[in-house]
Amino acid sequence: MSLEAAAFWGLALVLLASGLAVVLSKNLFHSVLYLALALVATAGLFLLLQAEFLAAVQILLYAGGVITIVVFAIVVTERLVGERLVQTNRGIVNGGLVSLAVLIAIIIFVTRATLPQTPPPPPADLTQAIGRDLLTRFVLPFELLAVLFLAALLGALFFARKEE
Amino acid sequence: MGLQPYLILAAVLFCIGLFGVLTRRNAIGILLGIELMLNAVNVNLVAIARYAADPAGLVFTLFTISITVAEVAVGLAIVILIFRVRRTVEADHLNLLKG
Amino acid sequence: MIDAGTLALAALGLPFGAFVLLAVVAPLRRAGRAAGALSVAAVGGSLLAALILWRTFPEAGADTVELAWSWLPAEGGALATVGVLVDSVAAVMLVLVALVSFLVQLYSLGYLEDETAPALGRYFAYHSLFAFSMIGLVLASNFLQMFIFWELVGLCSYLLIGFWYAKPEAARAAVKAFWVTKAGDLGFILGIVLLWAQAGTFGFSELFKMADDKTLPLGGLSLIMFLIYLGAVGKSAQFPLHVWLPDAMEGPTPVSALIHAATMVAAGVYLVTRAYPLFLQTPDVLVLIGWVGAFSALLAATLGLVQADIKRVLAYSTVSQLGYMMAALGAGAVGAGFFHLLTHGLFKALLFLGAGAVIHAVGTNDIWKMGRLFGAMPQTGIVFLVGTLALAGIWPFAGFFSKDAILAGVWEGGLTVPFLMLALTVFLTAFYMFRVVFVVFFATGHAEGHPHDPPLVMGGPLWTLAGLTAGVGILFAVGGGGEEAHGPSWISPLSLGLALAGIAFAWLTYQRRAVSAEMLARRVRPLYVAALRKFWLDDLYGGIYRGVILGLSWVVGWVDRYLVDGLVNLASAWTMRGGDRLRRIQTGRAQDYLYGVAFGLLLVIVWSYWH
Repeated sequence: MSLEAAAFWGLALVLLASGLAVVLSKNLFHSVLYLALALVATAGLFLLLQAEFLAAVQILLYAGGVITIVVFAIVVTERLVGERLVQTNRGIVNGGLVSLAVLIAIIIFVTRATLPQTPPPPPADLTQAIGRDLLTRFVLPFELLAVLFLAALLGALFFARKEE
Repeated sequence: MGLQPYLILAAVLFCIGLFGVLTRRNAIGILLGIELMLNAVNVNLVAIARYAADPAGLVFTLFTISITVAEVAVGLAIVILIFRVRRTVEADHLNLLKG
Repeated sequence: MIDAGTLALAALGLPFGAFVLLAVVAPLRRAGRAAGALSVAAVGGSLLAALILWRTFPEAGADTVELAWSWLPAEGGALATVGVLVDSVAAVMLVLVALVSFLVQLYSLGYLEDETAPALGRYFAYHSLFAFSMIGLVLASNFLQMFIFWELVGLCSYLLIGFWYAKPEAARAAVKAFWVTKAGDLGFILGIVLLWAQAGTFGFSELFKMADDKTLPLGGLSLIMFLIYLGAVGKSAQFPLHVWLPDAMEGPTPVSALIHAATMVAAGVYLVTRAYPLFLQTPDVLVLIGWVGAFSALLAATLGLVQADIKRVLAYSTVSQLGYMMAALGAGAVGAGFFHLLTHGLFKALLFLGAGAVIHAVGTNDIWKMGRLFGAMPQTGIVFLVGTLALAGIWPFAGFFSKDAILAGVWEGGLTVPFLMLALTVFLTAFYMFRVVFVVFFATGHAEGHPHDPPLVMGGPLWTLAGLTAGVGILFAVGGGGEEAHGPSWISPLSLGLALAGIAFAWLTYQRRAVSAEMLARRVRPLYVAALRKFWLDDLYGGIYRGVILGLSWVVGWVDRYLVDGLVNLASAWTMRGGDRLRRIQTGRAQDYLYGVAFGLLLVIVWSYWH
């Protein structure tokens, strides 16, 4: 087993384990921490796929931004309700069956497809390519993204404002 | 290493997220499940971009990550708002859409 | 010299033009008397054309004149033609129709002077339509055209019976007349269509030619002719469909005189006369016609004995006389039957118009509220007496000769029992008619108000008809016996004796009061009661109506209420329950909707396996 493969399986193990912990953990706070772990493992996968820039974005935005917001939300709601938020699952059997069915369907779909066995030689500088594409091919969605952010910002402010 | 293990890994992660979304009682827990599912999509996008040697997938990933952040921000704002009004974030109780 | 076809078309077209004018030009119609003048002028023109046609016709060349235009185009030639067919029968009938129409319309101008102008205009519009339809019926060259005019006169009858439609009895009588005659007309049209299917033509001339050449397919012809005869039964008020005619007296009296005495009700007789070559092919149907006619004559005469309404007496007498005509036709004495149709048309119109004058003067139909009217209105009394003597069959009035001819014809035709019925009816006819005459004009009693003779516009038609009634009779008396009177020599004395006996008996009962009417009624109490109740025929029809129609309505109602509505309700209940069930999948929880998304995803993936 090559180093790459060993890294992949290791990351996969961490990713799946932490993912399961996210959806199964009774403690909401723990769930968030496991999510952070999963996101970091994903960033590792990105590194493995030679997308260093994205790995950095992943850690900065997700592990940094998202996790912070969620923790903040938990703290706020717990303070409002005055008790620990425990969370349980319901309809485990139904949810599990449906999820499993979707999984099997996707796996069958993936295994039937002819997929490349080896990656092509890595390009010189992926980050540079991303930057170029972002401002040429995808400039319109990029700008629209800015509008979306503005809307999200205003929305979040609107929701979170005090009732007058 | 082929593309297939990445895709299958992403599929598993997606389904774990789906399971979480379907079964969690807490609105914040549901949001976490959604994060997992989106994450799985990101894995797919990056892996396919790598194997197809096309940076478009990477750009998409950048978009999804950004949009996810926005979504989380708005979503959590809504959660907090609901919490203020109804004193609960149990998804079971949020059934105003009931027919 | 104008040719016969043009004259016939003129006679047909003038009333139609008047009707169209009155129907379309509303101000003219609302003018009332002007509308009447137009209508009278039009039918007067028809009368003129008819008279010229009648006088010149036998010299006009062939013994029939036919004009035809193809109509209803179909593959392989027209399906039907329209046209006029004039022969000696049609020419004479045309004169009768036009004459009585003209006189009755003239009379109506006086009789209905109290009506409002729009109602009068409507009345004359109907009258013009009737004159057109009746003339069209007489001149029809084929069964289909005849049926159309046949229905048109039925429509006019309905409209005119219900002229005072605000009166519930009139409206009901109009509907009753319409329905009962329609029952017969159903047979008529079925017969026509079946005949067409057999022979391939509606035309009289073609059919008569086929009958002559023995090429007419005889299979089922009896049924066909019976069905056609059914139409005549309804129109000519033969038993058992006679029940509408007495009720039709709710219409204005001139209408009764024209439609329900002289012309339309005679259409059945005219139909049988017209189609006689075809009826000759089916002797069994003819025998039936004879029996039914004689029975109708006797039955209606007994009914006429007990009526208190002067118009109803005349109505039953009409049924009775139509029975005579039918009996004559059934026995093969077609000339006698048609002759009686003509004379009856004259004297029955006279009687109705006379009765109308009396009603106009007294304001009631009830003979027991009249009396000693002869002194007050001698002219009316004289003309009514002329009509009554003619109807009773007293020499030398017109009715004597035609009735005599019928009796002779029926005897010669070998219908012994119908002959006896008709002979008895002669006695009854004289009795009930003179009952009316004595009670109304001579016997003690008092009428309200100050009755007086009608004005000239009404008196003129009365005297004209009276003169014709007497004149035709005297013509025959002088000219010798009449064309059909070739029966045994004892028939004339017998019928005259029976009639005189009836008159004498009526005189004893109602004038001298030597015989008590109450005692007579007690003697024949069952018959008296039965006649009063119209032999329960109306009750029977009412019962059938209630039983069948209402029963059917009930069944239909039940089906609608429980089966149809039930299905609808069931469907709606299921829909509602289904909606209620389906509503529950809208739980309002986002996660449950996500299950739907997941299933959708699964479907997409599975579907993609095949693509």
